[in-house]
Amino acid sequence: MRRLMKLVPAAAVALAFASGPAHAQGKEKVTLLLNWYLYSEHAPFFLCKERGVFDKEGLDVEIQEGRGSVPTIQAVAAKTVTFGYADVATMIKAAAKGTPVTTVGVALQTSPMSVMGLSEKNIRKPDDIKGKTVAMTPGDSMSQVWPLFLKKTGLKESDFKVVAGDAQTKLNAVINGQADLLLGYLMDQNMRIQDATKKPVFVIPFSEYGVNLVSSGIIAQKDMLKEKPDLVRKFMRASTVCFEEAAKNPEAAVDAMLKANPKAGVRETLIAGLKLTTPLYNTPDTKGQRPFRVSPKNMSESFDMLVEYGGVEKASAGKAEDYYTNAFLPQ
Amino acid sequence: MSLLRKILLNPAMRPIWLIVVLLVLWDLAIRIFKIPPYLIPAPQKVVEALQNEWPRLIRESMVTTWATLGGFGLSILFGIPMALLIAYSRTIESFVYPLLVFSQSVPKIAVAPLFVVWFGFGIIPKVIAAFLLGFFPIVVSTVMGFKSVEPEMIDLARSMKASRLQTFMRISLPQAMPAIFSGLKVSVTLAVVGAVVGEFVGSNSGIGYVLQIANGNFDLPLMFAALVVLSMIGVVLFVAIDLLERVMIPWHASQRPDVHATA
Repeated sequence: MRRLMKLVPAAAVALAFASGPAHAQGKEKVTLLLNWYLYSEHAPFFLCKERGVFDKEGLDVEIQEGRGSVPTIQAVAAKTVTFGYADVATMIKAAAKGTPVTTVGVALQTSPMSVMGLSEKNIRKPDDIKGKTVAMTPGDSMSQVWPLFLKKTGLKESDFKVVAGDAQTKLNAVINGQADLLLGYLMDQNMRIQDATKKPVFVIPFSEYGVNLVSSGIIAQKDMLKEKPDLVRKFMRASTVCFEEAAKNPEAAVDAMLKANPKAGVRETLIAGLKLTTPLYNTPDTKGQRPFRVSPKNMSESFDMLVEYGGVEKASAGKAEDYYTNAFLPQ
Repeated sequence: MSLLRKILLNPAMRPIWLIVVLLVLWDLAIRIFKIPPYLIPAPQKVVEALQNEWPRLIRESMVTTWATLGGFGLSILFGIPMALLIAYSRTIESFVYPLLVFSQSVPKIAVAPLFVVWFGFGIIPKVIAAFLLGFFPIVVSTVMGFKSVEPEMIDLARSMKASRLQTFMRISLPQAMPAIFSGLKVSVTLAVVGAVVGEFVGSNSGIGYVLQIANGNFDLPLMFAALVVLSMIGVVLFVAIDLLERVMIPWHASQRPDVHATA
Protein backbone atom coordinates (compact mmCIF):
# COMPACT_ATOMS: atom_id res chain seq x y z
CA MET A 1 0.00 0.00 0.00
CA ARG A 2 2.78 2.38 0.96
CA ARG A 3 4.67 1.56 -2.18
CA LEU A 4 1.51 2.21 -4.17
CA MET A 5 1.14 5.61 -2.55
CA LYS A 6 4.70 6.43 -3.54
CA LEU A 7 3.87 5.49 -7.10
CA VAL A 8 1.00 7.93 -7.38
CA PRO A 9 3.06 11.14 -7.28
CA ALA A 10 5.68 9.50 -9.50
CA ALA A 11 3.04 8.76 -12.10
CA ALA A 12 1.73 12.30 -11.87
CA VAL A 13 5.21 13.70 -12.49
CA ALA A 14 5.66 11.35 -15.43
CA LEU A 15 2.37 12.51 -16.90
CA ALA A 16 3.31 16.15 -16.47
CA PHE A 17 6.52 15.58 -18.39
CA ALA A 18 4.74 13.58 -21.04
CA SER A 19 2.37 16.43 -21.77
CA GLY A 20 5.20 18.95 -21.79
CA PRO A 21 6.27 18.86 -25.45
CA ALA A 22 2.72 19.52 -26.69
CA HIS A 23 2.74 22.87 -24.91
CA ALA A 24 6.09 23.63 -26.42
CA GLN A 25 4.54 23.43 -29.88
CA GLY A 26 2.02 26.05 -28.85
CA LYS A 27 -0.95 23.73 -29.19
CA GLU A 28 -3.13 22.70 -26.34
CA LYS A 29 -3.41 18.95 -25.90
CA VAL A 30 -6.96 17.67 -25.62
CA THR A 31 -8.15 14.10 -25.26
CA LEU A 32 -11.66 13.16 -26.24
CA LEU A 33 -12.82 9.80 -24.88
CA LEU A 34 -15.71 8.38 -26.89
CA ASN A 35 -18.59 6.37 -25.48
CA TRP A 36 -17.80 3.21 -27.44
CA TYR A 37 -15.66 1.62 -30.11
CA LEU A 38 -15.87 3.61 -33.33
CA TYR A 39 -19.16 3.70 -35.20
CA SER A 40 -20.88 6.15 -37.54
CA GLU A 41 -21.87 8.62 -34.82
CA HIS A 42 -18.20 9.48 -34.12
CA ALA A 43 -17.27 10.40 -37.70
CA PRO A 44 -17.73 14.22 -37.33
CA PHE A 45 -14.85 14.42 -34.84
CA PHE A 46 -12.53 12.82 -37.36
CA LEU A 47 -13.69 15.28 -39.99
CA CYS A 48 -12.60 18.02 -37.58
CA LYS A 49 -9.17 16.49 -37.29
CA GLU A 50 -8.69 15.85 -40.99
CA ARG A 51 -9.86 19.26 -42.13
CA GLY A 52 -7.66 20.94 -39.54
CA VAL A 53 -10.59 22.60 -37.75
CA PHE A 54 -9.14 21.63 -34.35
CA ASP A 55 -5.71 22.87 -35.49
CA LYS A 56 -7.15 26.25 -36.41
CA GLU A 57 -8.42 26.59 -32.85
CA GLY A 58 -4.96 25.70 -31.58
CA LEU A 59 -6.04 22.31 -30.29
CA ASP A 60 -4.20 19.04 -30.60
CA VAL A 61 -7.05 16.58 -30.17
CA GLU A 62 -6.53 12.90 -29.53
CA ILE A 63 -9.64 10.75 -30.02
CA GLN A 64 -9.80 7.59 -27.92
CA GLU A 65 -12.29 4.75 -28.20
CA GLY A 66 -14.40 4.06 -25.11
CA ARG A 67 -16.01 1.10 -23.37
CA GLY A 68 -19.40 2.49 -22.49
CA SER A 69 -20.68 5.81 -21.22
CA VAL A 70 -20.15 4.97 -17.56
CA PRO A 71 -16.34 4.56 -17.64
CA THR A 72 -16.09 7.55 -20.01
CA ILE A 73 -17.92 9.78 -17.52
CA GLN A 74 -15.78 8.46 -14.66
CA ALA A 75 -12.61 9.26 -16.62
CA VAL A 76 -13.83 12.81 -17.27
CA ALA A 77 -14.67 13.26 -13.59
CA ALA A 78 -11.20 12.08 -12.56
CA LYS A 79 -9.64 14.44 -15.17
CA THR A 80 -7.98 11.51 -16.91
CA VAL A 81 -9.33 12.92 -20.17
CA THR A 82 -10.38 16.45 -21.17
CA PHE A 83 -13.75 15.71 -22.74
CA GLY A 84 -16.03 12.73 -22.96
CA TYR A 85 -18.56 11.88 -25.62
CA ALA A 86 -21.17 10.00 -23.65
CA ASP A 87 -24.85 9.48 -22.97
CA VAL A 88 -26.20 12.64 -21.34
CA ALA A 89 -28.90 10.76 -19.44
CA THR A 90 -26.20 8.59 -17.90
CA MET A 91 -24.21 11.71 -17.08
CA ILE A 92 -27.22 13.17 -15.25
CA LYS A 93 -27.42 10.02 -13.14
CA ALA A 94 -23.72 10.28 -12.32
CA ALA A 95 -23.88 14.00 -11.54
CA ALA A 96 -26.94 13.49 -9.33
CA LYS A 97 -24.74 11.16 -7.24
CA GLY A 98 -22.13 13.87 -6.84
CA THR A 99 -19.84 13.23 -9.78
CA PRO A 100 -18.45 16.66 -10.80
CA VAL A 101 -19.39 16.56 -14.49
CA THR A 102 -21.69 18.56 -16.71
CA THR A 103 -22.84 18.64 -20.33
CA VAL A 104 -21.50 21.39 -22.58
CA GLY A 105 -23.41 20.36 -25.69
CA VAL A 106 -26.04 17.75 -26.57
CA ALA A 107 -25.22 16.15 -29.91
CA LEU A 108 -28.21 13.85 -30.23
CA GLN A 109 -31.26 15.73 -29.03
CA THR A 110 -33.70 13.19 -30.43
CA SER A 111 -33.18 9.81 -28.87
CA PRO A 112 -31.84 7.01 -31.08
CA MET A 113 -33.17 4.46 -28.57
CA SER A 114 -35.27 1.84 -30.24
CA VAL A 115 -36.53 -1.67 -30.04
CA MET A 116 -35.68 -3.58 -33.20
CA GLY A 117 -35.79 -7.00 -34.79
CA LEU A 118 -35.52 -8.71 -38.16
CA SER A 119 -38.26 -7.52 -40.53
CA GLU A 120 -39.23 -11.13 -41.23
CA LYS A 121 -40.51 -11.40 -37.65
CA ASN A 122 -43.18 -8.85 -38.55
CA ILE A 123 -42.87 -6.73 -35.44
CA ARG A 124 -43.97 -3.27 -36.64
CA LYS A 125 -45.67 -1.70 -33.64
CA PRO A 126 -45.44 -2.03 -29.86
CA ASP A 127 -48.45 -4.34 -29.73
CA ASP A 128 -46.56 -6.90 -31.83
CA ILE A 129 -44.00 -7.29 -29.03
CA LYS A 130 -46.50 -9.39 -27.04
CA GLY A 131 -45.31 -12.97 -26.66
CA LYS A 132 -41.86 -12.19 -28.05
CA THR A 133 -38.40 -12.28 -26.46
CA VAL A 134 -36.49 -9.01 -25.93
CA ALA A 135 -32.72 -8.86 -25.34
CA MET A 136 -31.34 -6.01 -23.23
CA THR A 137 -28.28 -5.09 -21.17
CA PRO A 138 -29.05 -4.77 -17.45
CA GLY A 139 -28.24 -1.36 -16.02
CA ASP A 140 -27.81 0.50 -19.31
CA SER A 141 -29.80 3.61 -20.19
CA MET A 142 -32.12 1.84 -22.63
CA SER A 143 -33.17 -0.83 -20.18
CA GLN A 144 -34.00 1.92 -17.69
CA VAL A 145 -36.14 3.93 -20.09
CA TRP A 146 -37.86 0.76 -21.31
CA PRO A 147 -40.52 0.78 -18.51
CA LEU A 148 -41.59 4.26 -19.66
CA PHE A 149 -41.91 3.02 -23.24
CA LEU A 150 -44.06 0.15 -21.94
CA LYS A 151 -46.27 2.55 -20.03
CA LYS A 152 -46.74 4.88 -23.00
CA THR A 153 -47.60 1.99 -25.29
CA GLY A 154 -49.83 0.09 -22.85
CA LEU A 155 -47.58 -2.97 -22.60
CA LYS A 156 -46.87 -4.95 -19.43
CA GLU A 157 -43.66 -6.69 -18.31
CA SER A 158 -45.54 -9.98 -18.42
CA ASP A 159 -46.41 -9.54 -22.11
CA PHE A 160 -42.97 -10.64 -23.28
CA LYS A 161 -39.84 -12.53 -22.19
CA VAL A 162 -36.57 -10.80 -21.35
CA VAL A 163 -33.05 -12.12 -21.82
CA ALA A 164 -30.16 -10.08 -20.47
CA GLY A 165 -26.60 -9.89 -21.65
CA ASP A 166 -23.81 -7.52 -22.61
CA ALA A 167 -23.71 -5.55 -25.87
CA GLN A 168 -22.32 -8.38 -27.96
CA THR A 169 -24.62 -11.02 -26.46
CA LYS A 170 -27.63 -8.86 -27.29
CA LEU A 171 -26.62 -8.78 -30.95
CA ASN A 172 -25.77 -12.47 -31.02
CA ALA A 173 -29.14 -13.32 -29.50
CA VAL A 174 -31.07 -11.57 -32.29
CA ILE A 175 -28.75 -12.80 -35.05
CA ASN A 176 -29.06 -16.40 -33.82
CA GLY A 177 -32.76 -16.25 -33.08
CA GLN A 178 -32.52 -16.61 -29.28
CA ALA A 179 -34.34 -13.28 -29.06
CA ASP A 180 -36.78 -11.60 -31.44
CA LEU A 181 -35.89 -8.04 -30.50
CA LEU A 182 -33.20 -6.01 -28.81
CA LEU A 183 -32.99 -2.56 -27.31
CA GLY A 184 -30.52 -0.55 -29.35
CA TYR A 185 -29.69 2.63 -31.23
CA LEU A 186 -31.37 3.14 -34.60
CA MET A 187 -28.05 3.85 -36.36
CA ASP A 188 -25.96 1.18 -34.68
CA GLN A 189 -27.30 -2.28 -33.85
CA ASN A 190 -29.68 -2.46 -36.82
CA MET A 191 -26.69 -1.85 -39.11
CA ARG A 192 -24.68 -4.57 -37.40
CA ILE A 193 -27.53 -7.07 -37.61
CA GLN A 194 -28.04 -6.25 -41.29
CA ASP A 195 -24.33 -6.70 -41.97
CA ALA A 196 -24.25 -10.04 -40.18
CA THR A 197 -27.48 -11.57 -41.46
CA LYS A 198 -27.91 -9.74 -44.81
CA LYS A 199 -31.57 -9.38 -43.82
CA PRO A 200 -33.50 -6.14 -43.29
CA VAL A 201 -34.19 -4.93 -39.75
CA PHE A 202 -37.32 -3.14 -38.62
CA VAL A 203 -36.80 -0.40 -36.04
CA ILE A 204 -39.39 0.99 -33.60
CA PRO A 205 -37.89 4.26 -32.21
CA PHE A 206 -38.92 5.18 -28.66
CA SER A 207 -39.21 8.83 -29.74
CA GLU A 208 -42.14 8.00 -32.03
CA TYR A 209 -44.12 6.94 -28.96
CA GLY A 210 -43.48 10.03 -26.89
CA VAL A 211 -40.37 8.78 -25.12
CA ASN A 212 -37.60 11.19 -26.02
CA LEU A 213 -34.54 11.35 -23.85
CA VAL A 214 -31.49 13.44 -24.70
CA SER A 215 -28.76 11.11 -25.89
CA SER A 216 -25.05 11.52 -26.67
CA GLY A 217 -23.35 14.78 -25.77
CA ILE A 218 -20.05 16.31 -24.80
CA ILE A 219 -19.19 15.96 -21.12
CA ALA A 220 -16.67 18.04 -19.18
CA GLN A 221 -15.39 18.21 -15.63
CA LYS A 222 -16.94 21.07 -13.64
CA ASP A 223 -13.67 22.57 -12.32
CA MET A 224 -12.18 22.40 -15.78
CA LEU A 225 -14.94 24.72 -17.05
CA LYS A 226 -13.77 27.35 -14.61
CA GLU A 227 -10.04 26.77 -15.15
CA LYS A 228 -10.05 26.65 -18.95
CA PRO A 229 -13.24 28.22 -20.30
CA ASP A 230 -11.48 29.24 -23.52
CA LEU A 231 -10.38 25.71 -24.21
CA VAL A 232 -13.97 24.51 -23.89
CA ARG A 233 -15.20 27.31 -26.14
CA LYS A 234 -12.62 26.46 -28.82
CA PHE A 235 -13.43 22.78 -28.70
CA MET A 236 -17.17 23.36 -28.96
CA ARG A 237 -16.73 25.88 -31.79
CA ALA A 238 -14.72 23.38 -33.81
CA SER A 239 -17.11 20.51 -33.03
CA THR A 240 -20.13 22.60 -34.04
CA VAL A 241 -18.56 23.35 -37.43
CA CYS A 242 -17.75 19.70 -38.02
CA PHE A 243 -21.14 18.38 -36.98
CA GLU A 244 -22.75 20.82 -39.42
CA GLU A 245 -20.36 19.75 -42.16
CA ALA A 246 -20.91 16.05 -41.40
CA ALA A 247 -24.67 16.51 -41.77
CA LYS A 248 -24.13 18.01 -45.22
CA ASN A 249 -21.41 15.63 -46.27
CA PRO A 250 -21.60 12.33 -44.38
CA GLU A 251 -19.38 10.56 -46.94
CA ALA A 252 -16.47 12.90 -46.20
CA ALA A 253 -16.88 12.43 -42.45
CA VAL A 254 -16.88 8.63 -42.73
CA ASP A 255 -13.88 8.71 -45.07
CA ALA A 256 -12.00 10.84 -42.53
CA MET A 257 -12.78 8.30 -39.80
CA LEU A 258 -11.75 5.37 -41.98
CA LYS A 259 -8.53 7.16 -42.88
CA ALA A 260 -7.69 7.53 -39.20
CA ASN A 261 -8.80 3.99 -38.39
CA PRO A 262 -9.42 1.62 -41.33
CA LYS A 263 -10.91 -0.94 -38.92
CA ALA A 264 -13.79 1.35 -37.92
CA GLY A 265 -16.26 -0.52 -40.12
CA VAL A 266 -17.68 -0.98 -43.61
CA ARG A 267 -17.82 2.35 -45.50
CA GLU A 268 -21.37 2.00 -46.87
CA THR A 269 -22.73 0.86 -43.51
CA LEU A 270 -21.08 3.75 -41.69
CA ILE A 271 -22.41 6.28 -44.21
CA ALA A 272 -25.92 4.85 -43.92
CA GLY A 273 -25.57 5.00 -40.11
CA LEU A 274 -24.41 8.61 -40.13
CA LYS A 275 -27.29 9.57 -42.42
CA LEU A 276 -29.65 8.12 -39.82
CA THR A 277 -27.80 9.98 -37.06
CA THR A 278 -27.73 13.55 -38.38
CA PRO A 279 -31.54 14.05 -38.24
CA LEU A 280 -31.22 13.41 -34.47
CA TYR A 281 -29.04 16.54 -34.05
CA ASN A 282 -32.22 18.56 -33.56
CA THR A 283 -35.68 18.26 -32.10
CA PRO A 284 -38.69 20.09 -33.62
CA ASP A 285 -38.10 22.97 -31.20
CA THR A 286 -34.43 23.44 -32.20
CA LYS A 287 -34.99 22.97 -35.93
CA GLY A 288 -32.70 25.15 -38.02
CA GLN A 289 -30.42 25.92 -35.07
CA ARG A 290 -26.75 24.95 -34.94
CA PRO A 291 -25.85 21.58 -33.42
CA PHE A 292 -25.32 20.98 -29.67
CA ARG A 293 -27.74 23.75 -28.56
CA VAL A 294 -30.32 21.77 -26.64
CA SER A 295 -33.66 23.35 -25.76
CA PRO A 296 -34.55 23.79 -22.07
CA LYS A 297 -37.83 21.95 -22.71
CA ASN A 298 -36.04 18.92 -24.14
CA MET A 299 -33.63 18.89 -21.23
CA SER A 300 -36.25 19.28 -18.50
CA GLU A 301 -38.49 16.60 -20.01
CA SER A 302 -35.55 14.21 -20.14
CA PHE A 303 -34.68 15.09 -16.59
CA ASP A 304 -38.23 14.46 -15.36
CA MET A 305 -38.20 11.06 -17.04
CA LEU A 306 -34.97 10.18 -15.29
CA VAL A 307 -36.34 11.22 -11.93
CA GLU A 308 -39.43 9.12 -12.50
CA TYR A 309 -37.87 6.05 -14.15
CA GLY A 310 -34.10 6.29 -14.22
CA GLY A 311 -33.35 5.99 -10.53
CA VAL A 312 -32.40 9.66 -10.09
CA GLU A 313 -33.52 10.71 -6.61
CA LYS A 314 -35.93 13.60 -6.70
CA ALA A 315 -34.92 15.01 -3.33
CA SER A 316 -31.22 15.46 -4.12
CA ALA A 317 -31.40 15.89 -7.87
CA GLY A 318 -32.18 19.62 -8.15
CA LYS A 319 -33.22 20.99 -11.53
CA ALA A 320 -32.46 20.17 -15.16
CA GLU A 321 -30.46 23.41 -15.50
CA ASP A 322 -27.90 22.08 -13.05
CA TYR A 323 -26.82 19.43 -15.52
CA TYR A 324 -26.04 21.31 -18.72
CA THR A 325 -24.91 24.62 -20.11
CA ASN A 326 -25.07 26.17 -23.58
CA ALA A 327 -22.71 28.95 -22.50
CA PHE A 328 -19.69 27.54 -24.30
CA LEU A 329 -21.41 27.13 -27.66
CA PRO A 330 -20.80 29.52 -30.59
CA GLN A 331 -23.64 31.82 -31.59
CA MET B 1 -15.03 -12.30 31.11
CA SER B 2 -12.47 -15.02 30.51
CA LEU B 3 -14.80 -16.52 27.91
CA LEU B 4 -14.93 -13.20 26.11
CA ARG B 5 -11.14 -13.02 26.33
CA LYS B 6 -10.89 -16.47 24.85
CA ILE B 7 -13.15 -15.56 21.98
CA LEU B 8 -11.29 -12.33 21.29
CA LEU B 9 -7.86 -13.97 21.37
CA ASN B 10 -8.95 -17.07 19.44
CA PRO B 11 -6.77 -17.60 16.36
CA ALA B 12 -9.94 -17.92 14.30
CA MET B 13 -10.68 -14.28 15.13
CA ARG B 14 -7.39 -13.06 13.66
CA PRO B 15 -8.64 -12.54 10.09
CA ILE B 16 -11.60 -10.63 11.50
CA TRP B 17 -9.23 -8.31 13.34
CA LEU B 18 -7.32 -7.78 10.13
CA ILE B 19 -10.57 -6.93 8.33
CA VAL B 20 -11.42 -4.39 11.03
CA VAL B 21 -7.97 -2.80 10.69
CA LEU B 22 -8.32 -2.68 6.90
CA LEU B 23 -11.77 -1.10 7.17
CA VAL B 24 -10.38 1.59 9.45
CA LEU B 25 -7.48 2.23 7.05
CA TRP B 26 -9.92 2.41 4.14
CA ASP B 27 -12.06 4.94 5.98
CA LEU B 28 -9.00 6.96 7.01
CA ALA B 29 -7.60 6.96 3.49
CA ILE B 30 -10.88 8.37 2.17
CA ARG B 31 -10.92 11.08 4.81
CA ILE B 32 -7.23 12.02 4.60
CA PHE B 33 -6.88 12.01 0.81
CA LYS B 34 -10.44 13.33 0.36
CA ILE B 35 -11.28 10.59 -2.14
CA PRO B 36 -14.69 11.50 -3.60
CA PRO B 37 -17.49 8.91 -3.23
CA TYR B 38 -17.87 8.50 -7.00
CA LEU B 39 -14.38 6.99 -7.11
CA ILE B 40 -14.42 4.87 -3.93
CA PRO B 41 -17.38 4.66 -1.53
CA ALA B 42 -16.92 4.96 2.23
CA PRO B 43 -17.01 1.61 4.09
CA GLN B 44 -20.02 2.80 6.07
CA LYS B 45 -22.02 3.24 2.83
CA VAL B 46 -21.05 -0.23 1.72
CA VAL B 47 -22.21 -1.71 5.03
CA GLU B 48 -25.51 0.15 4.65
CA ALA B 49 -25.92 -1.21 1.13
CA LEU B 50 -25.18 -4.69 2.49
CA GLN B 51 -27.91 -4.28 5.10
CA ASN B 52 -30.52 -2.79 2.79
CA GLU B 53 -29.96 -5.16 -0.09
CA TRP B 54 -29.21 -8.28 1.96
CA PRO B 55 -32.21 -10.43 0.89
CA ARG B 56 -31.61 -9.64 -2.77
CA LEU B 57 -27.85 -10.21 -2.49
CA ILE B 58 -28.40 -13.59 -0.83
CA ARG B 59 -30.93 -14.61 -3.47
CA GLU B 60 -28.58 -13.65 -6.31
CA SER B 61 -25.56 -15.19 -4.62
CA MET B 62 -27.32 -18.57 -4.52
CA VAL B 63 -27.55 -18.44 -8.31
CA THR B 64 -23.84 -17.68 -8.60
CA THR B 65 -22.98 -20.37 -6.05
CA TRP B 66 -24.81 -23.06 -8.02
CA ALA B 67 -23.02 -22.06 -11.21
CA THR B 68 -19.71 -22.10 -9.33
CA LEU B 69 -20.33 -25.53 -7.83
CA GLY B 70 -21.43 -26.87 -11.21
CA GLY B 71 -18.23 -25.63 -12.84
CA PHE B 72 -16.11 -26.86 -9.94
CA GLY B 73 -17.76 -30.29 -10.06
CA LEU B 74 -17.02 -30.55 -13.77
CA SER B 75 -13.43 -29.46 -13.11
CA ILE B 76 -12.97 -32.36 -10.68
CA LEU B 77 -14.79 -34.81 -12.92
CA PHE B 78 -12.59 -34.04 -15.91
CA GLY B 79 -9.47 -32.63 -14.25
CA ILE B 80 -8.47 -35.52 -12.00
CA PRO B 81 -8.84 -38.33 -14.56
CA MET B 82 -7.05 -36.16 -17.11
CA ALA B 83 -4.23 -35.56 -14.63
CA LEU B 84 -3.98 -39.31 -13.92
CA LEU B 85 -3.56 -40.02 -17.61
CA ILE B 86 -0.92 -37.32 -17.91
CA ALA B 87 0.94 -38.48 -14.81
CA TYR B 88 1.00 -42.16 -15.82
CA SER B 89 1.65 -41.92 -19.53
CA ARG B 90 4.47 -39.93 -21.06
CA THR B 91 2.87 -40.31 -24.49
CA ILE B 92 -0.41 -38.75 -23.37
CA GLU B 93 1.49 -36.09 -21.50
CA SER B 94 3.46 -35.06 -24.58
CA PHE B 95 0.27 -34.89 -26.64
CA VAL B 96 -2.08 -33.23 -24.20
CA TYR B 97 -0.13 -31.09 -21.78
CA PRO B 98 1.13 -28.40 -24.19
CA LEU B 99 -2.35 -28.05 -25.62
CA LEU B 100 -3.77 -27.73 -22.12
CA VAL B 101 -1.37 -24.91 -21.27
CA PHE B 102 -2.21 -23.28 -24.60
CA SER B 103 -5.95 -23.44 -23.86
CA GLN B 104 -5.38 -21.95 -20.44
CA SER B 105 -3.85 -18.84 -22.00
CA VAL B 106 -7.02 -18.10 -23.99
CA PRO B 107 -8.80 -15.25 -22.22
CA LYS B 108 -12.15 -16.69 -21.14
CA ILE B 109 -13.93 -13.36 -21.31
CA ALA B 110 -13.21 -13.25 -25.05
CA VAL B 111 -14.91 -16.57 -25.76
CA ALA B 112 -17.65 -16.33 -23.13
CA PRO B 113 -20.14 -14.54 -25.45
CA LEU B 114 -20.01 -17.59 -27.70
CA PHE B 115 -21.13 -19.87 -24.86
CA VAL B 116 -24.36 -17.89 -24.68
CA VAL B 117 -24.81 -18.32 -28.43
CA TRP B 118 -24.19 -22.05 -28.17
CA PHE B 119 -25.99 -22.88 -24.93
CA GLY B 120 -28.55 -20.14 -24.43
CA PHE B 121 -29.18 -17.85 -21.47
CA GLY B 122 -29.52 -20.48 -18.73
CA ILE B 123 -27.02 -21.71 -16.17
CA ILE B 124 -24.92 -23.72 -18.67
CA PRO B 125 -22.74 -20.88 -20.07
CA LYS B 126 -21.89 -19.83 -16.50
CA VAL B 127 -21.03 -23.40 -15.48
CA ILE B 128 -18.78 -23.74 -18.50
CA ALA B 129 -17.02 -20.45 -17.79
CA ALA B 130 -16.47 -21.59 -14.17
CA PHE B 131 -15.24 -24.98 -15.41
CA LEU B 132 -12.74 -23.43 -17.83
CA LEU B 133 -11.18 -21.33 -15.08
CA GLY B 134 -11.30 -24.03 -12.40
CA PHE B 135 -10.08 -26.93 -14.49
CA PHE B 136 -6.43 -26.04 -15.00
CA PRO B 137 -5.16 -25.70 -11.40
CA ILE B 138 -6.66 -29.09 -10.56
CA VAL B 139 -4.86 -30.76 -13.45
CA VAL B 140 -1.51 -29.12 -12.71
CA SER B 141 -1.58 -29.88 -8.98
CA THR B 142 -2.81 -33.43 -9.43
CA VAL B 143 -0.14 -34.21 -12.01
CA MET B 144 2.47 -32.82 -9.66
CA GLY B 145 1.02 -34.83 -6.78
CA PHE B 146 1.21 -38.16 -8.60
CA LYS B 147 4.60 -37.45 -10.09
CA SER B 148 6.16 -36.70 -6.73
CA VAL B 149 5.22 -40.02 -5.17
CA GLU B 150 8.47 -41.48 -3.81
CA PRO B 151 9.69 -44.24 -6.18
CA GLU B 152 11.19 -46.15 -3.22
CA MET B 153 7.70 -46.57 -1.81
CA ILE B 154 6.44 -47.93 -5.11
CA ASP B 155 9.41 -50.33 -5.26
CA LEU B 156 8.69 -51.45 -1.73
CA ALA B 157 5.05 -52.12 -2.56
CA ARG B 158 6.06 -54.02 -5.66
CA SER B 159 8.57 -56.15 -3.71
CA MET B 160 5.74 -57.05 -1.36
CA LYS B 161 3.67 -58.18 -4.38
CA ALA B 162 1.06 -55.50 -4.08
CA SER B 163 -1.27 -55.29 -7.07
CA ARG B 164 -1.29 -52.07 -9.16
CA LEU B 165 -4.63 -51.10 -7.65
CA GLN B 166 -3.33 -51.70 -4.15
CA THR B 167 -0.22 -49.63 -4.85
CA PHE B 168 -2.39 -46.86 -6.20
CA MET B 169 -4.90 -46.87 -3.34
CA ARG B 170 -2.41 -47.33 -0.50
CA ILE B 171 0.57 -45.32 -1.68
CA SER B 172 0.13 -43.13 -4.76
CA LEU B 173 -3.29 -41.66 -4.00
CA PRO B 174 -2.65 -40.79 -0.33
CA GLN B 175 0.71 -39.23 -1.22
CA ALA B 176 -0.85 -37.19 -4.01
CA MET B 177 -3.78 -36.02 -1.85
CA PRO B 178 -2.17 -32.89 -0.36
CA ALA B 179 -1.27 -31.61 -3.83
CA ILE B 180 -4.74 -32.43 -5.15
CA PHE B 181 -6.32 -30.50 -2.30
CA SER B 182 -4.16 -27.45 -2.90
CA GLY B 183 -5.30 -27.57 -6.53
CA LEU B 184 -8.93 -27.84 -5.44
CA LYS B 185 -8.61 -24.77 -3.24
CA VAL B 186 -7.19 -22.62 -6.02
CA SER B 187 -9.75 -24.03 -8.40
CA VAL B 188 -12.82 -23.22 -6.31
CA THR B 189 -11.92 -19.55 -5.92
CA LEU B 190 -11.27 -19.27 -9.65
CA ALA B 191 -14.56 -21.02 -10.39
CA VAL B 192 -16.36 -18.16 -8.60
CA VAL B 193 -14.64 -15.70 -10.94
CA GLY B 194 -15.62 -17.86 -13.91
CA ALA B 195 -19.27 -17.91 -12.88
CA VAL B 196 -19.31 -14.13 -12.64
CA VAL B 197 -17.65 -13.79 -16.04
CA GLY B 198 -20.49 -15.92 -17.38
CA GLU B 199 -23.03 -13.68 -15.68
CA PHE B 200 -21.49 -10.52 -17.09
CA VAL B 201 -21.83 -11.79 -20.59
CA GLY B 202 -25.41 -13.00 -20.50
CA SER B 203 -27.63 -13.68 -17.55
CA ASN B 204 -30.86 -12.56 -15.92
CA SER B 205 -29.66 -13.22 -12.39
CA GLY B 206 -26.64 -13.72 -10.15
CA ILE B 207 -24.09 -11.47 -8.51
CA GLY B 208 -22.58 -10.60 -11.90
CA TYR B 209 -25.99 -9.26 -12.94
CA VAL B 210 -26.22 -7.14 -9.77
CA LEU B 211 -22.71 -5.79 -10.44
CA GLN B 212 -23.72 -4.76 -13.95
CA ILE B 213 -26.84 -2.92 -12.77
CA ALA B 214 -24.98 -1.22 -9.92
CA ASN B 215 -22.27 -0.07 -12.31
CA GLY B 216 -24.83 1.31 -14.78
CA ASN B 217 -26.45 3.34 -12.01
CA PHE B 218 -23.20 4.64 -10.48
CA ASP B 219 -24.27 2.78 -7.34
CA LEU B 220 -20.78 2.14 -6.01
CA PRO B 221 -21.88 1.09 -2.51
CA LEU B 222 -24.09 -1.66 -3.98
CA MET B 223 -21.27 -2.66 -6.30
CA PHE B 224 -18.84 -3.03 -3.43
CA ALA B 225 -21.47 -4.83 -1.34
CA ALA B 226 -21.93 -7.30 -4.18
CA LEU B 227 -18.17 -7.75 -4.34
CA VAL B 228 -18.10 -8.48 -0.61
CA VAL B 229 -20.82 -11.11 -0.98
CA LEU B 230 -18.97 -12.58 -3.94
CA SER B 231 -15.77 -12.85 -1.94
CA MET B 232 -17.76 -14.49 0.87
CA ILE B 233 -18.87 -17.19 -1.54
CA GLY B 234 -15.23 -17.80 -2.37
CA VAL B 235 -14.24 -17.91 1.30
CA VAL B 236 -17.05 -20.27 2.32
CA LEU B 237 -16.25 -22.70 -0.48
CA PHE B 238 -12.54 -22.50 0.31
CA VAL B 239 -13.15 -23.22 4.00
CA ALA B 240 -15.44 -26.14 3.09
CA ILE B 241 -12.64 -27.74 1.09
CA ASP B 242 -10.17 -27.00 3.83
CA LEU B 243 -12.40 -28.85 6.33
CA LEU B 244 -12.76 -31.77 3.95
CA GLU B 245 -8.98 -31.85 3.64
CA ARG B 246 -8.62 -32.09 7.41
CA VAL B 247 -10.99 -35.04 7.49
CA MET B 248 -9.36 -36.85 4.61
CA ILE B 249 -5.66 -36.32 5.27
CA PRO B 250 -5.35 -35.64 9.00
CA TRP B 251 -1.82 -37.11 8.95
CA HIS B 252 -0.34 -34.48 6.63
CA ALA B 253 2.17 -31.93 7.92
CA SER B 254 -0.04 -28.99 6.95
CA GLN B 255 -2.81 -30.32 9.18
CA ARG B 256 -0.80 -30.78 12.38
CA PRO B 257 -1.90 -28.44 15.13
CA ASP B 258 0.22 -25.37 15.75
CA VAL B 259 2.57 -26.38 18.58
CA HIS B 260 2.86 -22.88 19.99
CA ALA B 261 -0.85 -22.30 20.09
CA THR B 262 -1.48 -25.38 22.21
CA ALA B 263 1.45 -24.84 24.56
